[in-house]
Amino acid sequence: MKAELSPRRQVFLYGLLCVLLIPFVFPTWWMVTSSVKPISDIFAFPPQLVPESYDWTTYSKVFELQPFVKQYWNSAYVAALVTVGTMIVSSMAGYAFARIKFPFANAIFVVVLLGLLIPSEVTIVPLFQMFLKAGMVNTHWPLILVPIFGAPSVFATFVMRQFFIALPVELEEAARVDGLGRFKIFRKIALPLARPALASVAIFTFLHSWNLYLEPIVFLSSADKFTLPQALTQYTDAYGGPMWNIQLAAATLTALPVLIVFIIAQKQFVEGLAHTGLKG
Amino acid sequence: MAEVTLSNVRKSYGAVDIIHGIDLGITDGEFVVLVGPSGCGKSTLLRMVAGLETITGGEVRIGGRVVNDLDPKDRDIAMVFQNYALYPHMTVATNMGFSLEHRGGSNAEIAERVKWAADILGLAPLLDRYPRQLSGGQRQRVAMGRAIVRDPKVFLFDEPLSNLDAKLRVVMRGEIKSLHQRLKTTTIYVTHDQVEAMTMADKIVVLNGGRVEQIGAPLDLYDRPANQFVAGFIGSPSMNFLNGTITPEGFSAPGILLPLPEAEHGHKDRKAVYGIRPEHFFLDENGVPAEIILVEPMGSETQVTMKLGETLATGVFRERVSLSPGATIRVRPDLGNIHLFAADGGQRLN
Repeated sequence: MKAELSPRRQVFLYGLLCVLLIPFVFPTWWMVTSSVKPISDIFAFPPQLVPESYDWTTYSKVFELQPFVKQYWNSAYVAALVTVGTMIVSSMAGYAFARIKFPFANAIFVVVLLGLLIPSEVTIVPLFQMFLKAGMVNTHWPLILVPIFGAPSVFATFVMRQFFIALPVELEEAARVDGLGRFKIFRKIALPLARPALASVAIFTFLHSWNLYLEPIVFLSSADKFTLPQALTQYTDAYGGPMWNIQLAAATLTALPVLIVFIIAQKQFVEGLAHTGLKG
Repeated sequence: MAEVTLSNVRKSYGAVDIIHGIDLGITDGEFVVLVGPSGCGKSTLLRMVAGLETITGGEVRIGGRVVNDLDPKDRDIAMVFQNYALYPHMTVATNMGFSLEHRGGSNAEIAERVKWAADILGLAPLLDRYPRQLSGGQRQRVAMGRAIVRDPKVFLFDEPLSNLDAKLRVVMRGEIKSLHQRLKTTTIYVTHDQVEAMTMADKIVVLNGGRVEQIGAPLDLYDRPANQFVAGFIGSPSMNFLNGTITPEGFSAPGILLPLPEAEHGHKDRKAVYGIRPEHFFLDENGVPAEIILVEPMGSETQVTMKLGETLATGVFRERVSLSPGATIRVRPDLGNIHLFAADGGQRLN
């Protein structure tokens, strides 16, 4: 039952929520507004919450100074491949851990989870040596393969496993009686029902790949191969200082698709996380 | 359609034995109900017939063929689950036609079979709906539709009515029974509800602790239970039991002497359990005294909890008598319906 709040309490709660919202909304607001301010206005005191003058040329300069379209494409296709790959690997691994009885399944799952505890900084040097030997440095392969078989996929596997565990066993038993084998049960019954969990896996995997910074700066060296987070650091003046307004314009363009996707899919995202068994 | 035979069927989980060697023969077209308390192994036994549980020992035959090592899909059975197990992402029609689709049926054939099953079960207007858009009873019917659409050799029902409210359960009970009368497919039905067992079965198998207590027609089990467990399990309200000794004068229970048929006096001085069903008490001035504890008028009958000597017993009287708690009435047990069980082991004596 919902407890009705008194109007005074409601006003107080909304006020409190608005205050708590500031640390989350302000950086985005500052990024978007500063991207169209002249540099002098960005650091003006008192700060201008709403720009007094607008300089839209910053956005055209983003594309003039760097092969930004190419870099955008790099980020997009790498993130898309990582997302699809992670969805395939994690859904199959999660299903296997949840449903298939095999020796030491739980012990193996714990070993897999341990992968989450190892910081990527620790593995980056050996990985670099591996990819160097394989001739894959300054290609996008490391950015694609490492997440698909690394920590993001481990977390995704955990999410998928929790979802499949919660799926009623009777559905699969009914499918067995109806004539389906293990893989068809996975493909025809379990996977379609796992859409909310898959959606959340897709969103956080895409976000992770889109925001990846350490791996690109280690593995990539030419501007036309750069992904967006790495490209953002290249908007500097002759002295190496940041060109703030152009950099913030590029940052706004970088954040835009992610924001749009999240706003569209936030319901599925929350639903998917709720299925991880973490809810009460 | 087919007969089903279980020969010395056993099931163990590690060192724990769940089913202790069950023999059961089910003839073609028979409606058999497996009934027993929670944990007696009835669902496990059904799942072993379905192929959803492995068989530790013994043999299961369907239509004369040993199916121990066959997958469920190769046993030609259909199963209705307790929680219906309808695929949530498929419509009613797709749910019903799903098994045919995977057995290579043509679209026209599937549509025809689904329509046939939907007409029988009154599901025709619901074919495009999703399970979440259906009521409990409708879901139950879809689950049955999914089972009948394939025309299997055996139907298996695993407590299919336990998620329904009391009224709907009675309606669906009738529907399953009439469906069986129409299709005459061999059916194994698991329930813990003895009323379902009594009303639906051609043959009841009473299970307890992984063993068969008795197999028989519903009224045979009711009238001549083989032991005290079956006597107590079958019938609602359940049979009254009084512990005591058989004497030349009758049955001596704590604080009361109950009449016995002449033939039973031969067991004299034997410790036994005196069993009598609630409806086999009659109000009679020459009967034994009983103190009334509780009166529950049901309309068609009155259920009375009373104290016979020191033992609480239930009586059901068809007459509309005015009885009040604390009063003493006199009741006479129907001597033709007295059940005597051994005090040790509970086997039937008479």
